[in-house]
Amino acid sequence: MSRESAARRFAVAAAALSAAAAALVGLALLAGASPLDAVRALAEGAAGSPAALGETLARATALVLTAIGASLAFRVGVLNIGLEGQFLAGAVAAAAVGPLLAGSPLAARAGLLAAAALAGALWVMPAAYLEARRGVPEVLSTILLNLVAAAGVSGLVRGALQDPGGDYPQSRALPDAVRLAPLAAGGRVTAAILIALALALFATLLLEWTPFGLKLRATGLAPAAARAIGLPRARLRLLAFAASGALAGLAGGLEVLAVTGRLYDPFTAGVGYTGIAAALLGGSHPLAAAVSAVLFAALGTGSSAMQRDTGVPGALATIVPGVLVLAVLAARARLARKAA
Amino acid sequence: MFPGEIHALLGENGAGKSTLVSIAAGRLVADSGEILRGGSQASYRNARDARHAGLVLVPQHDLLIGAASVADNLAFLDPAAPFFESAAARRARVGRLAQAFGLELGDADARADALPVGTRQRIEIAGALAGDPDVLILDEPTAVLSPDETAALFASLRKRADAGAAVVLITHRLAEVFAGADRLTLLARGRSVKTCRVSETTPQEIGGLLLTNTEGEKNFLEGVWGARALDSRADTPGGRSQTHSSEHAAQSAATQPLPSLVLTGFAPDEARAVRAERISLSLLPGEILVLLAIDGNGADTIARAIAGLERFSGRVEVGGVPLPLSGDPLAFRAAGGAFVPADRREEGLVAALSLSENLALPNPPGSVFLDRPAMRAHAEERLRAFGVRYASPAALAGSLSGGNQQKTVLARELAHRPGVLVAVHPTRGLDLASAAAVRSRILDACRSGTAALAVTADPDEAQLFGAPLRVVYRGRLSAALEPTTPPAALGRLMAGLEG
Amino acid sequence: MSGFLAVTLLLAAPLLLAAAGELLLERAGSIQIGLEGTMLIGAFTAFAAARSGVGPHSALLAAAFAGLLAGAAFAVFAVAGRADPILVGTAWNLVAAGGTAFSYRLLAGATGSVLEVRTLPPLAFGLPAAVLAAFFVPVVVDVFLARTRPGLALVAAGENPLALAATGGSVVAVRTAASVAAGALGALGGALLVLTVSPTFVEGVTAGRGFLALALVVFARWKPLRLVPGALLVAGATALQYRLQAGGSRIPYAVFLALPGLLALFALAAARGRGGSPKALGTPAP
Repeated sequence: MSRESAARRFAVAAAALSAAAAALVGLALLAGASPLDAVRALAEGAAGSPAALGETLARATALVLTAIGASLAFRVGVLNIGLEGQFLAGAVAAAAVGPLLAGSPLAARAGLLAAAALAGALWVMPAAYLEARRGVPEVLSTILLNLVAAAGVSGLVRGALQDPGGDYPQSRALPDAVRLAPLAAGGRVTAAILIALALALFATLLLEWTPFGLKLRATGLAPAAARAIGLPRARLRLLAFAASGALAGLAGGLEVLAVTGRLYDPFTAGVGYTGIAAALLGGSHPLAAAVSAVLFAALGTGSSAMQRDTGVPGALATIVPGVLVLAVLAARARLARKAA
Repeated sequence: MFPGEIHALLGENGAGKSTLVSIAAGRLVADSGEILRGGSQASYRNARDARHAGLVLVPQHDLLIGAASVADNLAFLDPAAPFFESAAARRARVGRLAQAFGLELGDADARADALPVGTRQRIEIAGALAGDPDVLILDEPTAVLSPDETAALFASLRKRADAGAAVVLITHRLAEVFAGADRLTLLARGRSVKTCRVSETTPQEIGGLLLTNTEGEKNFLEGVWGARALDSRADTPGGRSQTHSSEHAAQSAATQPLPSLVLTGFAPDEARAVRAERISLSLLPGEILVLLAIDGNGADTIARAIAGLERFSGRVEVGGVPLPLSGDPLAFRAAGGAFVPADRREEGLVAALSLSENLALPNPPGSVFLDRPAMRAHAEERLRAFGVRYASPAALAGSLSGGNQQKTVLARELAHRPGVLVAVHPTRGLDLASAAAVRSRILDACRSGTAALAVTADPDEAQLFGAPLRVVYRGRLSAALEPTTPPAALGRLMAGLEG
Repeated sequence: MSGFLAVTLLLAAPLLLAAAGELLLERAGSIQIGLEGTMLIGAFTAFAAARSGVGPHSALLAAAFAGLLAGAAFAVFAVAGRADPILVGTAWNLVAAGGTAFSYRLLAGATGSVLEVRTLPPLAFGLPAAVLAAFFVPVVVDVFLARTRPGLALVAAGENPLALAATGGSVVAVRTAASVAAGALGALGGALLVLTVSPTFVEGVTAGRGFLALALVVFARWKPLRLVPGALLVAGATALQYRLQAGGSRIPYAVFLALPGLLALFALAAARGRGGSPKALGTPAP
C-alpha cells in the first residue's frame, strides 16, 4: 500500500502475472478446453467488438469507483471493507429519490448522484465513530454494515420502495428522461464511465500532487509520526472514511442511473469486494486501481463468451482476480520480510 | 554465576545486557562463543529448551495475558502446568506460589490488565519461580516498582537464592545492587569490564566506571574531554557556550519577558505507576533545562506529555496558551511548540516519504497543487543549513543514517523559530560529530529565543548543554543543578543513592 | 411449535460450527473474513462427495478434510506469510466463490436440472446427529480455551504474542493450528447446509451465512458459550421469516435479515473499550 521501488514493483507484477496465467491455463485445461482457444474467446468477448467493449465499460463503472474508494481509504490507513454496503446505500438513495425528482433531467441526475454519494458516506459513519471513539477495528464494523445494507435492500424492494405497478421485488423504474442515455445510439456506454475515470484522475491528482494529499499519505504511511508531527490525524482518517464511502455510494447511484434503472434484490454480486481486489492489484494508486477494475470487468464480460464458445465455466472471472490478489499479497509480504 | 547467589549485571543502554541474556535463554542465537553451565556447554535452540533445562528469563516487556485472570496467567507461565486443570486447581496455585515466595499476588480471579504494575510484575516473577528454575534471569524488574515493592521483590529473590538457585539481575540502579546483590558484573559495549563481589567495591567506584564507559562511539581514550573539545569547535566563535544560556536568561530578565513554558502541578497520567510528584517549573525564552535520567524513570513521559502525546493532569502553558489535558499535539504546535521524539524512525519522520516531503510537513506549500520547486528549494536550504548528508531531496527519509535523520528532524522542527523545543534523547545513537552538531543547532535556536527542554540519559551529554540540570528519579525531579556538577555526583542522584 | 423448534435448530447448527471455528482463530489473533468462502468449499465438497456415491457421513468427513486444507492454505498466506489477513480473506472469498461455481458447472454440466444428494439420517427429534453435536462444539471450545494448556497458549497468541514467544511457544504454530481447526469447522458448517437444509448445491448456497457467523463472533464478544443464544436468535428469526413468508406476510422480513448485523453492531457499541476483541487481533506474528 505504500511507495515501492521499481524493482520491487516489477517482482510483484511478475508474480501476479504468472499466477494469473497459471490459473487461466490450469482452469481451461481442467475444463477440457484448449487454453489458447479459451483466452482468444475471452479477449474477443471482452473487447472484440464495439458491443463487447461497451458491455465491458458499462460493467466497469461501479468497479472503478469502488476501487478508487478502496484505494483512497487504504492509502490513509483506513481498512474500509464495507464498500459493498456503501454501494447499496447509494443505490437505495438513488432508487428512493429518483422517482421524486422533477425539473430538468440534468438537475435531477445531479440531485440523485449527490444523494447517493451522501448515503454512501453516511453509511460508513458508524464504523468511523466506533473506530475513533472505541478503538473497534473498522474491518469488523464495516462487514457488519454490509450485512445490514444487504438486508435493508432485501426488505425495501419488498416494502417501502417496491414498484406498486408490479409484483416483483424491485423498485419503480427511473423515468427515461432522467436515466443516462448511451453516448452512441444503440450502445451501452454512458457518461458514467467517463465520470468514474475522471474521478480516478482526480483522486490521483489529490493524493500525489496536492498539499492535502501529502498529509493524507503521511497519515497512512506512518500514523505515529503523523500524530507527533502535528497532522490532524483523526480528521484526516474521518475524511478518508467519508470519501471512500461517498465514492462507493456514487457507484451505487450511477449503477441505478446508467445501468439498471431501478433497485432489485440481490443488487450486487460482490462489486465492493472485487473493487477492493482491484485496489490491491493497483497498489492502492487510484489510476492503477481503475485500470485493474476495467481489466476485471473485461474478464467478466469475456468469460460469458468464453463459456459459450469453449465450455470453460464463466466463474473463472471471479477466480482470477482472487488469485491475482493472493499472489500480490504473498509477493509483497515476502519482499517486505526479505528487506527487514 | 554460582548457585545460591544474586548476581547483578550493570551497564549503560546498548552495552549488551539484554542481548546477552536473550542468547543465554535461547531467544536469540549467538554469533560466536559458547555458554557453559555446570561445566558443560549449554546452548538452547529456543526459550522452551531453556525452560526445560531450568533457565527462565523474565524479560522487560509484559508477559501477561491482559484479558485472563491471575490464576490463568500463572497456569500459562508455569511450565509444569498439566494439560487440563480445573478452576480450583488454578486458584490453588496462586495461593501456593504467593505463600512459597512471599509475594502478594492479589485476587486469583482478577483480570491481569486491571491490576497495578507492581502486582503484574510479581505475577510474572511468581510464574518464573513456579517451575523451580536453577537459573533465574530478571531484566530490569524494578523499573516500574515503588521502593517498597522493590524491597519485597529482593526479599523473595533472596529466598530463591537461599534455596540454591542462581539469580541474575539486570539493572541500572546502583542502589539496588548494593542493597541486594552478592556479586556484580559491569558490561560496556558488549564486553565485561569488571566482575567482583559487591562487598569488595563501593558505589562510587562502580558509578565512576559506569560513567567512563558510556554508550555510543565514546571510549576510554576520547572520554569526556574529547567530546567537549568537539562541541566547542562546533559552537559559535568565543566558545562560551557553557554559560551562555544563564547569561541570556539574565539579560532577558531585565526586560521581564513572559515565560515560554510553564508547568504548574503537572504530572503525566502514566507517571502514577511510579508515584511521581507533581512538577512546577517555568522556562524563559532562550532558557534551557536538561532532564537527566536513566530510562524508565519517567523523564521521557514528562517530555511527551508536554508535547501533547500523553494525557496529563495539572497545567501546561506554551507561550501563555494552556494545553488540553487529553494531550493534543496540534494544540502544542499551534502554541509554538516543536518536538524531537526519541524514536525518529517511528515518530520523527515518515520513512517512506522523500526528504523534501518530510520537510514540508505538517503544512506543505502550494495553493491547489503542491509547490514542488518550493519544497525542493526549502529542503535543500534546510538540509544544507543543518549539515545533512543526502543524495537528493527526492531520496527517501528512511534511507538516511541515524545522525542525518536526526538532523533532518531538527531541520524541520526548528524551521519556524519555535517558542518551545522539547527534545527527547536528541543525540542518542549518534556519532560524536553528529551529536555535537545536533547540540549546537539546539543551542543556536535558544540563542535566538527558543526555550528548550532536553531529556538525556547521559551525564556528559547533559553537561555539554551548559545549562541547568535536573535529575529525574522515579518521576521525581531533583533541585536545579549547575552544569558543572561532577559526573560522579550526577550518577549517584540518577541511581537514587542520594536525593 | 416443535416443527418451528426443529427448523430453528437445523438452521442454527451450521452457523454455530462456523462461528465456533472463527472464534478460535480470532482468539488466536488472526481473522478469516473469507469464512463465507470456506463454508462454500465445505458445501461443495460434501455435495461432490455425495454425488460420487459415498454416504452422507463420508461426505461430511470429506468436507471436514477440505476445510483442514483450506485452513492450512489460509495460514500459509496470512499467518506464516504475514500478509494482511483481511486482504487475504477478501481474495479468499473471490477464489472460493469462483472455484466452487466453476467446479459445480464442470460436475453438473450445462443442464439446469437440480442434482439431489442423500441427506443425513435423523437421530432424535427428527434431527441428524451432526446437527445435535454442533451444539456441543461451543462448549468444547469454551472448555478448551478456559481449562487447557494449549487453550491458554492460543489465548496468549491473540492477546500478547510476545509473551507466548518469550515462554517458548510459537505464535505461527498456534495460529496455524487454529486456522486449520477453523477451516474444518467452517467447512462442516457449509456441508451441513447441503446435507440437511436443502439437499443440493447451487452457486452461493451459503447465502451470506459466513458473514452472519463473523457477526455472531462479534455479538458473542469472543466468548464461545454466548454463540449459542446468538445463533438460536438468528436461526429462530430466519425460521419465523420462512413461516411468515409461507403465511403470506412479508412485513418484518428486512428486520429479521438485518438482525444479526445490527445485534453485533450494538454489542460492539455497548461494550467498553474494543468490545472485548483480542488485543493482537489481525496483527502479524512476531
